[in-house]
Parts: sequence; C-alpha cells; structure tokens
Amino acid sequence: MDVTVEYNDIDRFILALQSRYNVIAPVSKDGRFIFDLIDHPSKVSPKYDSTLLPPVKWIYPNDEALLEFDLKDAAKIKEITESNKQALLFVHPCDVNAINIMDEILAEEPSDVNYLKRRWSTVIIGYECLGPCKENILCFDKSYHIAYSGFDLFFTDIGERYYVQVASSTGKEIIEMIGGLKKAGFSDKTELFRVRDERKMRFKKSIHGNMDMLSHMLKEAYNDEIWNIEEKKCLSCGACNIVCPTCYCFDVVDEICPDMEKGTRYRRWDGCQLHGFCKVATGENFRKTAAERVRHRVFKKEVYLKKRFGRSGCVGCGRCIDHCIANISLIEIFNKVFDRVREGV
Amino acid sequence: MSNFIPMPATLVGVRQVTDKEKLFTISLDNGKNIKHRPCQFVIVSISGVGEAPISISSPPTDSGKVIELCVRSVGNLTGAMHRLSVNDKIGIRGPFGNGFPIEKIEGRDILIVAGGLGLAPLRSLIKYVNNERKRYRRFILLIGAKRPADILFKEEVTKWDEDPGIETHITVDAAEPPWNKNVGVITGLFKYIDIDPLKTVAAIVGPPVMYRFVIRELLAKGIFEGNIFLDLERRMRCGLGKCGHCQINGIYLCQNGPVLSYLEAKKLQEAL
Repeated sequence: MDVTVEYNDIDRFILALQSRYNVIAPVSKDGRFIFDLIDHPSKVSPKYDSTLLPPVKWIYPNDEALLEFDLKDAAKIKEITESNKQALLFVHPCDVNAINIMDEILAEEPSDVNYLKRRWSTVIIGYECLGPCKENILCFDKSYHIAYSGFDLFFTDIGERYYVQVASSTGKEIIEMIGGLKKAGFSDKTELFRVRDERKMRFKKSIHGNMDMLSHMLKEAYNDEIWNIEEKKCLSCGACNIVCPTCYCFDVVDEICPDMEKGTRYRRWDGCQLHGFCKVATGENFRKTAAERVRHRVFKKEVYLKKRFGRSGCVGCGRCIDHCIANISLIEIFNKVFDRVREGV
Repeated sequence: MSNFIPMPATLVGVRQVTDKEKLFTISLDNGKNIKHRPCQFVIVSISGVGEAPISISSPPTDSGKVIELCVRSVGNLTGAMHRLSVNDKIGIRGPFGNGFPIEKIEGRDILIVAGGLGLAPLRSLIKYVNNERKRYRRFILLIGAKRPADILFKEEVTKWDEDPGIETHITVDAAEPPWNKNVGVITGLFKYIDIDPLKTVAAIVGPPVMYRFVIRELLAKGIFEGNIFLDLERRMRCGLGKCGHCQINGIYLCQNGPVLSYLEAKKLQEAL
C-alpha cells in the first residue's frame, strides 16, 4: 500500500533509513551535485538537477577489489566481494533505468558476481522528474524520463507531501520500520495523476526524428562523414565514458602493498574512447582513430545493446554532453543522422 | 564464486621454442583436466603482475591433464611468464571462447593456414585432426614465418612435412641457404595446392594484415564463405563478455569468438 510523507517528516524518514543502511543521496558540492554517503538528513538535496557521476557507480565502483594475493605464496588467493547494505536515495528515473540496464548486462551469464552482490544489498529509492532537470537531455525522446520498475520506493512531489509508491517487499519493510506514515488516499492519488499528467507539457523533444528508427538510421550512417567531423573535435579523454550511467568497461590491474608481500587485484574503469583501449601487446590498435571510437560509443548504446536487450543502452541523462570539453553532443549527432536521411544522402 | 578467481596451477615444463617464444606446460593443482576445444584460450594470472589471455597450443586429445601455452615475450605478463621456471605457480581462468567447430568438419578436407604466431593456437587443431586422422579426408597445412629461425615447433613441423598423410607447404619472408623451401608471403603457397572447394574447410590464424589476402585466395579457389574459419585475436581482460576490450561491433570475441566463419565476420565491419 502506497503512503505519503509530509515535507517536514522527510528528515525522520532519512534518519530511520540511516539506522539500517548507508544512505547515499544527492548532496550539493561546489555548486553542483554528487551522490555521496550522508551523515545527516540536512545534507540531502531532493531538488537537484543532475549529479556529476551517476548513482550506479556506488554499485559499480572504480578500483573495486576483486581478490587479494600473497607474493610469497602464489597459490594463496582470497576472493573479495563486498556487500554493504546501502540505500540510494532520490534517484532520478533516468538513473533508475540505467541501473536496470546495468543489471541486465552484468547478470547475463557468465554473470558478474561482484556487481550482483552489491546490487542485491542496495535499496533504490526513486524520485520522480516532473519536468526537465537541465538542458541537454534526451530522456524524454527515449521515454526514459519515467521509471516503471527497478526501485523499492518511489517519491513523487505532489505539493506539501511526497507520494511514495511502495514497489517491493524491501520497500514495504522500510515503510513499516519507519512507521507513522499516512496511507495514500484518494486525494493523494488524484494529485499524483494530475502532476504526472502535467509533466508531458513540460518536457520537449531534443531529437527531430522517430527514435524507434534511430538504430536503423545509425547503421545506414556507419561510413558517414559525421564521424570524421566528430573526430576533429574529440580529444579522446574518456570523460563521456566515466560519467555515463551505462558504461561498464573495465581493466584489471594488480597493485602491490608497500610491504612487498601482499597485494590486491582491482577492477578499474576503462573507457572505449581512450586511444589504447583496443591496442594489443604486439602494437596493433584495432580502433586507431577517434572517429572509430566515437562511432563505437554511439553504436554500443544505440545499436549493439539495443539488439541484445531490445532497448537503447543510453538513458538520455545528457552527462556525456555536459562533461565533454570538446562539445561533442549526442543530440547533435542523432539530429545529424536524421537530417542526413531527410536530405537523402 | 566470483568469475575472477584463478585456479592455482603449476608449471610442469618450460621449453624454449624459438629465441622469442617459450612453451609452458601447465597442470592444475586440483588435478582436474582443463576440458577445452581447439582454438580456445585461457587467462593466465601472475599475482602482482596481472592477467593476459593466451591461446591453448595443445589439443584436447593429448594426455589430458596438462595444457601447453606457446608465449612470446611482448608485454608485462608475457615478460613475467618468461622469467618463470619449472614448479613455479601461476593462476589459470577458463577455458574461454567458442573454440573451433570440430563437429562440423568431420569427413571434410581440412586446410590450415598459419602465419607466424598463428601456429600457436592452430597447433591445437592440427594435432587434434592428426590424432583423429581417419575421421577426415585430405589434410593440408600452409605455414608461414618471417625467417626460418622464427618457425614455431620446428621438430613437429618437420614431422608433419615428412608425413605422407599431410600435405605441408612452408614459406618464410626471407632466408639464406641452406633454406631450401619457399621464400615469400604465405599466399604464394596457394599455387601448389589443388583443392576440392565443396569439400574443404579452412582455418586461418595469423597477424591481422594476413587475413584479407588469404581469404581472397580461398574465395578464388571457390571455398564457401561459411567454411572459412578465422580465429581473431584482440585485447581481452575478463573473458566474460563484460570488460569491452575484445568487442568488434556487436559481439564479444571472448564469448562469441575467437573463431568466426568468414560468413559471420564479413558482416562485422571491425573484424578484418
């Protein structure tokens, strides 16, 4: 049964949540927002635009330890899988959808046990977007501005109070643990439908084309001039990979402790935009040019993942556009791809 | 258990193959057999150095309990491997990849084209076919290397060359006397072989630049695109279809490869 939480009751809600979980929530930092472990409910900013890194990185952290080794005894290897109970609080629908996509990718056999263990001990509490959070977003074009699943609880601001959808047994337990919350009544539900209905008018499309055709259009444009134009701009810094909520490529690295006896093997984020990503030891580089790499990033999300899982691997959060110092924009690329066909190239 | 945990293994043999490559014989400490197919690979782990994917050079039909890896010292891990000796411990994950479709080639003529280090993975297939010789018809080997001293497994290659049941042709890019075999690129060997294109299955492994030229020769001979198999090698980290390095277009070579038919590979713009 869904409940409502009054604005002035939200601190009590978060405090209670903290008694059971490490609460990871949007907090303000240097004029922007990040998902961070909070020590006090007052730190939380429910009304944030977008965070620097997506919340999924708390389930898929950089330099995640995979195993510990002993240099004196090569056969001695200790597996490490961490599973702290954590709650991701106020996750926007795009990021909820991104976690759903990551779940699908990393649970596919042979599955990624390290990710799954963390995922199973993570509670996700969503936060409805009733309008665009910033410029440079494509979530509305992709219908990823709404999350239908992948959360335990889901908050919608309906004025003076939040409507909280209870979507899982874990969510129900949390609501029972907090206690004293009002059941959502008829007027709350009416208000929920009203604000959701108004949402449609606030979002506007960024792409001038039928998104269902995008995958096909891109395949047609595989050898197009577009990629060479992007190449001239791209600095191959990999920022787009790092901020992407569905980028999961990684390297495996060993680091030896200063005692020179023990060490740890880590999974370190890697990026397909970096020059050496496909370079092998004998010197061949299988994706030499930035044009090939930019194209690969776009195709991976829109063609390859779409073919495997039936939906686009890009949730349209726009972080890659915001953080590209060379002003490469997926919106621009997609529009060019549609224009190209319209012009009959 | 996490898929990143290597199985402890011991080097039971280390042998110099050429001045650059060594052959490592490895047995798992749990006494189990690494059940592999020809052209599959394992990921070798050395604590403190890291991991790297290495093709298995031994056939599944040989003695069972050990695998052989032919390794050139070129990177961090392969360099560290070359510094190891017998009884040293390493870690093994795998085997990974689809391997060669051995069920599909029974009763066929087998044509193998191995350029340079390509003989390392193909040796598993050559020895497999040779051990089960009766199940196949003609067996043709084309082997190329840079110089005579670079030819891998020289004793075995000589044995195959002398075996009347195997039609072997060998070439090197450059050589001085007493070399009395062919000199020139591997495609130069195709003029010596006369094949029945409808009955022949080809397997190719070599440096990236070699594939296009060899495929063109095979197509000119009339071999069906689906009967030309390529073992494509890329950078790999996880072997689980996750880390992204071995991806060519939509597929992960560590899971859907490394062996692809030309019919499949030609649809992938990044494959060749």
